Amino acid sequence: MNSKRRQFIQRLWQIIVAAGAAQLFNFEELLAAPTAVNRPRLLWLHGTSCSGCSTAFLDIEQVSIVEILTQFVDVIFHPDLSLATGEQVIHILDHLTHHEDGFILVLEGGIPIKYPHACLMGERPMTDWITQLAPRASMLIAAGTCAALGGIPKMNGTVTGSMTLREFLQYKNINKPLVALPNCPMKPEHIVYVLLHQLKLGQLPELDELARPIKFFERTIHERCIYYADFQERRYAERIGDPGCLLKLGCQGPVTHNDCMRFGHNHNTNTCIRSGHPCIGCASERFPRQIMLHRYGDRRAIHNEFDA
Amino acid sequence: MMTRCVVDPMTRIEGHLRFVTHIENQVVIDAQCSADMFRGIEKALIGYDARVAQQVTQRICGVCPYGHAEAAALALEHAMNLRPNANGQRLRNLIVGSYHLQDYLLHFYALCALDFIDITAVLHYQGQDAGLLTVRDWVKQEMASAKVFPAAPFLPRYEAAYCHDPTLNLSAIRHYLEALPIMATLHRMVALFGAKAPHPVTIEAGGVTTIPSLDSIIQFRTWLIPVAAFIRGAFRDDVTAVAQAFRPYFAEGRGAGHLLSYPFFPDATGANHAFAGGATLNGQYQPLDINKITEDSVRSYYSDQPDRHVKPLSSRHLTPIDWAQFNHERAQPNGKYSWARAPRYGGAVMEVGPVARIVNTYHAGINPAVTSLVNQYNQALGLTLADYPSVMGRHLARLFNALLILDRLEQDLEALVPDQLGFIEQPVPRNAQGVGLTEATRGALAHWIATDDQGYIQNYELIVPTTWNISPRDASNQPGAVEQMLIGTRIQNSAAPIELTRIVRSTDPCIACSVH
Repeated sequence: MNSKRRQFIQRLWQIIVAAGAAQLFNFEELLAAPTAVNRPRLLWLHGTSCSGCSTAFLDIEQVSIVEILTQFVDVIFHPDLSLATGEQVIHILDHLTHHEDGFILVLEGGIPIKYPHACLMGERPMTDWITQLAPRASMLIAAGTCAALGGIPKMNGTVTGSMTLREFLQYKNINKPLVALPNCPMKPEHIVYVLLHQLKLGQLPELDELARPIKFFERTIHERCIYYADFQERRYAERIGDPGCLLKLGCQGPVTHNDCMRFGHNHNTNTCIRSGHPCIGCASERFPRQIMLHRYGDRRAIHNEFDA
Repeated sequence: MMTRCVVDPMTRIEGHLRFVTHIENQVVIDAQCSADMFRGIEKALIGYDARVAQQVTQRICGVCPYGHAEAAALALEHAMNLRPNANGQRLRNLIVGSYHLQDYLLHFYALCALDFIDITAVLHYQGQDAGLLTVRDWVKQEMASAKVFPAAPFLPRYEAAYCHDPTLNLSAIRHYLEALPIMATLHRMVALFGAKAPHPVTIEAGGVTTIPSLDSIIQFRTWLIPVAAFIRGAFRDDVTAVAQAFRPYFAEGRGAGHLLSYPFFPDATGANHAFAGGATLNGQYQPLDINKITEDSVRSYYSDQPDRHVKPLSSRHLTPIDWAQFNHERAQPNGKYSWARAPRYGGAVMEVGPVARIVNTYHAGINPAVTSLVNQYNQALGLTLADYPSVMGRHLARLFNALLILDRLEQDLEALVPDQLGFIEQPVPRNAQGVGLTEATRGALAHWIATDDQGYIQNYELIVPTTWNISPRDASNQPGAVEQMLIGTRIQNSAAPIELTRIVRSTDPCIACSVH
């Protein structure tokens, strides 16, 4: 093994440690990790997305995205990275549909069912693309809140009939292993962890009933909050800038499952709560809620508000 | 003989774009751009709390969320008759400005560079740079493999005339690799005061919720050092070198060249901006009049009031046509063909973006730094202002924007007061209206809000940069700005129309924004 590869594996190892997954792999196991022969192949598609999960993926730091592209996965197609354009893309996707299987399909964004023309690629609706490609995939990753739990394209008041990836597979009777990685945008460490887990152990990490890895989504933001002691002592912030628990300013921490308070965002630079803003619940099933930043004493209801 | 040339999907932009051109004697005689994705966010906001607009509208776009966050906050502040204090304004500038820099690098390196730079030049690399060696060995290995798609995602590509200069090719590829961690560092800088990137939460009407500490200010400054060195060094060198190597592209993709911009990057009082609002029509600058803005949807997939020039907030409905009507329209020669609507300024088709900011600010004469930078480059490269609305002019103008914003970031950081809250709280306004104007990297962005008697959103309207640029034809059958840029272009090979994709990418389209 050359030293360059060893350094790469060392940085990969740092991600595993940072994601709190060190007990799953040891460093020596990783040394035998992806080679040119067994590298997983990745196909990334945009549903009704904003590309936020793609740009978040580019932010992965311990290993550069170029190392990921050259040493970790074969990215067969990514809408924002591929030099292929136009018919070249359709050719790649049609080839996958008819001649390949076993690739990993990542979907970012929702899938509009009622208005299939609300998401087209090569004049074909995303509903058709997913219906053709998902059965050929070995596993699927719903990247971000839209694909995982509904999110913005499914918010109250929208009309396109947006489905999550999981809902769509059930609707089409397609049975495939699926991982949901909510957060708006998806946290890049989460997808790297899932890919490594699949690669090394040949299976998905343990998932909850919404297909989220329990490792990241078992606990709420609230349970690990820096203000949890204030909450117990009933010290509540009444205004932005006050010390204390942000619950009465509309914090969604108690109903949002994610690991933000352990691993933060952007290489643990910050979290919403540490920056003085209540959690807006961007990884939650009920995102976006009717009121997010709630003025202390505002009498308007704080619970989910719209008549279902 | 006429041929039809379709590019769908157009990759390395944000979102779902299709364009269709008709080519006669190798020249494009007709072009249609279709924005192929719709979520319906702006009217879905009706009934949500007024402050929700900030969080939801930035999720229209994961590439330029900062612009929507700022425009939504400004619209609500306008309705509240409120200005942030100096610290709040400076924090906002630091978040938005860092994000602009990230967005310029993303656009030039990740999305556009490999349209000009020859990635296969890496095969001949003989030096010691670890990144280049990794890529070289990987490409070699891939090419020797039996894979169906070797060296994806860098191949396949349009085989065309890429840069022939081996030195430029290799240095630009090295900078492509180096730009990625610099972009991640810029996102960290956004997160320092914005909580996270993409989708920073802390920009609210009234300021920014983060209280800066001495530690966070020092951290920001530490990260700014390598960023500033990269932008003033590698980025500046690469853009200038590509501009010189592809000089004919100052004459490509010109379009009508009418330029619209909004005031952007305020000082701490909020009164004076680094970049001027305004409109340049036929080379003549005029101050901004937002009452001239209308939108129609004659050729867009909506059934409401399709033939009328609609002013912002004049309708609370936007009804998409259904699948059957969609297929009917697509089959008609003059049918609807895009989810984007057609905004116009006094009826005129406008280009928005980095060129509009630079040219309008130059004409308005409000910023000596802009004037001297433009004069300096015009002299060095032999350009005039008329050369800027072009493929290469847009890349060059983005460099100017980055250099100017970098200077302003350093000044705002210096003046930021630690441990002082930059947020003023007010209740959400009842029965009020406001408009927020700013610039995303890709151009002029406006939000309009109206609230009801409880502070919930009564109506919301967005007119977004890429809607201006990528718009379909309007009620007067005028093609949109990018359509006009494509028409008249001479192409070598309609099977690999790289001239057209270079034009479209030069406007940095964001389709998720354009339709929202």
